Amino acid sequence: MNTKNEIPEVDIVVDEKAGVIREIKPEKLASKKANERRSNTIIYVILVLMSIIWLAPFVFLVFQSFRSYALEGGGMVDYLLPKTWSLDNYRWLFNPENSNFLRWYGNTFIIALFCSVIQTMMILSVSYTLSRLRFKGRKFIMNTVLVLGLFPGFLTMITLYFLLKQLGLTQTGAIPGLILIYCASSGMGYYISKGFFDTLPKSLDESARIDGATRFQVFLKIIMPLTKPIVIYTILMAFMAPWGDYVFASYVAFGSEPNYNVAVGLYRWVNVADYQGYFTRFCAGGVLVAVPITILFMCLQKYYVEGVTGGAVKG
Amino acid sequence: MKKVLSVVLALAMLLSLASVAMADYSGDLKIWVAEATVEFTQKMVDQFKAAHPEYANMNVIIEPVGEGDAASNIITDVEAGADIFGFAQDQLSRLVAAGALLDVEPENAEIVKAENDAGSVAAVTLGDTMYAYPMTSDNGYFLYYDKSIVTDPSTLEQVLADCDAAGKKFYMEINSGWYQTAFFFGAGCELTFDSDDSGALVAMNAGYASDAGVKALKSMIKVAQSPAFVNGSSVSNATNLCAIVDGTWDATAAKEAFGDNYAASKLPTVDGYQMGGFGGFKMLGVKPQTDDDKLAACDALAAYLTSEEVQLARYNAVGWGPSNLNAQKNEAVQADEALSALASQLAFCEPQGQYPGEYWGLATSLGDDVIAKKYDNADDAALLEVLKNFEATCEGYLAK
Amino acid sequence: MTDLDYLKLSKPQKMLVDLRRFLAALPGHIGNGLKNLVMFIVNFFKGIGLAIVDVIQTFIHGDWKTKVSYFVMGFGSCARGQWGRGILFFVFQTLFNFYMFNPNASQSGLYYLGKLSTLGTIETHKEGRRTVYGDNSFFILLYGVLTIFFIIAFIYTWYTNIQQNKISEQILKSGHKLKSTKDDLQSLMDEQFHKTLLALPVLGVTVFTILPIIFMILVAFTNFDMTHQPPGKLFTWVGWSNFHELLASDTASHGNTFRQVLLWTLIWAFFATFLNYFLGMLVAIMINKKGIKLKKMWRTILVMTIAIPQFVSLLYVSKMFAADGLINTYLMKWGWISAPIPFWTQPGWARFTIILINVWIGIPYLMLIATGILMNIPADLYESARIDGASAFQMYQKITLPYMLFVTGPYLLTSFTGNINNFNVIFLLSGGKPQSMELTGNAGYTDLLITWLYKMTVNDTNYKLAAVMGILVFLVLAIINLVAYNLIPSVKNEEDFQ
Repeated sequence: MNTKNEIPEVDIVVDEKAGVIREIKPEKLASKKANERRSNTIIYVILVLMSIIWLAPFVFLVFQSFRSYALEGGGMVDYLLPKTWSLDNYRWLFNPENSNFLRWYGNTFIIALFCSVIQTMMILSVSYTLSRLRFKGRKFIMNTVLVLGLFPGFLTMITLYFLLKQLGLTQTGAIPGLILIYCASSGMGYYISKGFFDTLPKSLDESARIDGATRFQVFLKIIMPLTKPIVIYTILMAFMAPWGDYVFASYVAFGSEPNYNVAVGLYRWVNVADYQGYFTRFCAGGVLVAVPITILFMCLQKYYVEGVTGGAVKG
Repeated sequence: MKKVLSVVLALAMLLSLASVAMADYSGDLKIWVAEATVEFTQKMVDQFKAAHPEYANMNVIIEPVGEGDAASNIITDVEAGADIFGFAQDQLSRLVAAGALLDVEPENAEIVKAENDAGSVAAVTLGDTMYAYPMTSDNGYFLYYDKSIVTDPSTLEQVLADCDAAGKKFYMEINSGWYQTAFFFGAGCELTFDSDDSGALVAMNAGYASDAGVKALKSMIKVAQSPAFVNGSSVSNATNLCAIVDGTWDATAAKEAFGDNYAASKLPTVDGYQMGGFGGFKMLGVKPQTDDDKLAACDALAAYLTSEEVQLARYNAVGWGPSNLNAQKNEAVQADEALSALASQLAFCEPQGQYPGEYWGLATSLGDDVIAKKYDNADDAALLEVLKNFEATCEGYLAK
Repeated sequence: MTDLDYLKLSKPQKMLVDLRRFLAALPGHIGNGLKNLVMFIVNFFKGIGLAIVDVIQTFIHGDWKTKVSYFVMGFGSCARGQWGRGILFFVFQTLFNFYMFNPNASQSGLYYLGKLSTLGTIETHKEGRRTVYGDNSFFILLYGVLTIFFIIAFIYTWYTNIQQNKISEQILKSGHKLKSTKDDLQSLMDEQFHKTLLALPVLGVTVFTILPIIFMILVAFTNFDMTHQPPGKLFTWVGWSNFHELLASDTASHGNTFRQVLLWTLIWAFFATFLNYFLGMLVAIMINKKGIKLKKMWRTILVMTIAIPQFVSLLYVSKMFAADGLINTYLMKWGWISAPIPFWTQPGWARFTIILINVWIGIPYLMLIATGILMNIPADLYESARIDGASAFQMYQKITLPYMLFVTGPYLLTSFTGNINNFNVIFLLSGGKPQSMELTGNAGYTDLLITWLYKMTVNDTNYKLAAVMGILVFLVLAIINLVAYNLIPSVKNEEDFQ
């Protein structure tokens, strides 16, 4: 094919260990490329299959949420695509006369908002202190947190319930009660952000201290401006968690429907026999919860990745 | 004539109630009822207040807490629980044992005894003490089916064959201690418990470990092996419904699901015997009160909410079958398809007595083993061993 | 290359050697531990003894201001011009006195403390039809513990108060000036800044984590269950019988079931940790491979499972796998299977399905983590390996895996611990089912210790057994962590990181 006497493409690789320049023959290169193509194709096939598996439940959920309630009922069915598409379920949810859904949504939003502020402050205080300050009892605090973390969380549910009840923060007071519980011990989750503080050079503090800054000023003016990624990570985590809490939220708010969070309300629709034909409404409610959180998460994904990777590497 | 009579009776009862409770009460009073009856209960409470000026200022809060949740919630924290709450019969002994139920006011108890069917009266009574007001006598189960597919609902074998031929499913929650008795009681076994006044179960009468028991267990295994069988008892969770063993509370959902082909009948026969089961009841309870005036208000309101008038109205609003004898004679009640299926099934049922809380868990274990096909290859002796084990475990639940 | 060789060859062997060494040293470890414990106790009492002597001597030698401070806390501080500290001490003492000696006798700390040994004796009874509640064992225990907390805090504060007086006297004697309230406040923003930052978190953890845990540990020694439920009924101390009920093998106990559930919990945690770990890493390697396009899109698709609340996604997925769910229906429609697959009803299948679905949940996390770490592996390691003719799998085995394992050692440990307590996945997917006659206490084949604990608390209100279970979970985790701490180098050195 080649009329011109082309110089064959040669891949030259420097092998430091051998100390020689080696040359890879063009045939070998071609087969390598074919190999590469083949393995890439396999990977694409796997990735496409995985994407389908990972997205399928959510797509199905969305399909179900758009099923016509009037024509196909609200129960579970054995087919995927609705025969009639409609907004029946969403319309039903948005009418406060039908259910407390909007109220639950609002409750959860309030809880998430407060938690993201208070928890972030707690976690930052603890992680900053344990990372950058040295004082008597520091090691003791860290070991205590380690030991406490080994007790299963639901063990103390009944005690927390009655503690909250003493403060009047159950049933009708469930919203502030849940905020209190979520935040009170949140300082124990200092690990990831401590890992972050550990990576900031010590010289930053020291030079500022030499210039006469107090520790508070160092914290506020030198360190805080550098903590944006970890602050955003912490806020994101604190904001997302309350949306999924069923167990404790139902335990604190039982018997007071207007004070449920959205997880408790929706969970009951599919798991309490009193609610017949609520499945598609559950799906619609689930979509309404998932969409904003997913969007928020996607926007802040970068920070999430930094947080979990940092956390994993530093334990 | 009947109507006039019932109005007179209702009035007479109201008067008698009023004479019991003249103390007025204007504080809070919390009620838990099933989601479906919240609106209805609100209406009834308004009527009650209108008829009782001394309670006109009472602040009644009605929350939807299902019969299943009510008992566990109120046991967790009696104080935060409702003053009056609806629950199904299987919870009664548990509630009494936890100190979460107050005995029925003696005069009301006499009225309840006179006006409600015997089964329901027995169901609210532990030893000699009455602990709750019977509300419905419809807590039993029977067969809903699609009459275009199921040709003959009189034998379970035929029902299963028809469902399978149409590629559809037969639903029955055989891993529930409640539905399971359809097999055991039907085959002629017995399982009852005797309780003392405090709600403690002191003796067991059991016949599961017998030839009849083995026969029943084999029927269960056979049903579980059928390709048409699915374990479940909720119409709206069933995806490919052809027939289901379920109760009146799902009547509306079943009517919607089957449309024109909706039909209901007593349970079929299986392996030549008529399936039996529980005839159960729903009731209203009052929790222990520390305030005499509030207590009087609770007594009066609970009695009203289970009176003939309200039971009938409840049937008309949500289709719950009354336990009140007069209400049961009502024409509409008698004509109801689901209720008459239930009534013909109840002829083969035992009125549900008291069972230890652990019984339900044990029965689920047995059912799960059957569904997991653990006994598919077991011989009669092995099955008898399983049932002996079942009985022995039940006996272990008796109060020591 | 020596580094690579080291990582390549010695890793598994090193682990083995470590394990052997650890086991050989175990008696020594335990001995040391006991010795430390004894030393700690001896030192503790020695310290208390010294403190008492110190307190007495200070009283004898101190001036009158100091002496008054023994009875009126903060008096000395105020008298010497340190108003801020003094008032705090005084307020604390007043609060303490009010709590302990509340004129309303049934709400005072002393009252609860006095009832602690019996947890109440007055039964609930009825006057006419009215119920008169007796003692509430729950609150007696709760406030009893709280009172002990308060007394310890008081003694500590009282001692600090006396030390302050002593030091102040010495400072004044040596002719120096005492710190003013303003100085104190300033130091809270500087030298004592850690106190300011930690005050609220420590208070929160003490009241809402430590107090409840101690309370529940004590509950394990009572008969607090459905038939002893306050306020209607009393409960009381019963010693070790609950441990017997959960651990013994006789018919009235749950020993056999406990061992089965524990075994499954460990199996589950193993798969949930390591299967996800390797598959997640594999996916990360695939996505990061040179020549694969749309990297960001693949990642985003996977990551969606993290964003969507689990109670939505898992509940839905669990219904998909039901006997009459979408998956069975479609597999049958397409003729791939003739009978529904018993995903949730047969023990083996249920366990398999749960692990499988957990892979679906876990891969995205691990993919993200692995991606971050993979980028840090020096590229020339791969380059030279490639020149040596190593295949992709060999490179994975010899470079990627050892590096990842080394770096993520601590993560694996926390992840294993987390999976032992992974409540949501089991609760939302199977609820612990299926149950069996071979298991007792309503436990099912997919129940973890934590979901069983939840069932005991919420369904059976059997708090005494739940408390025992909680203590046992703690012990299991403590053992695992202790062993891992001694085996995994990157865990051990975690504190050296800085």
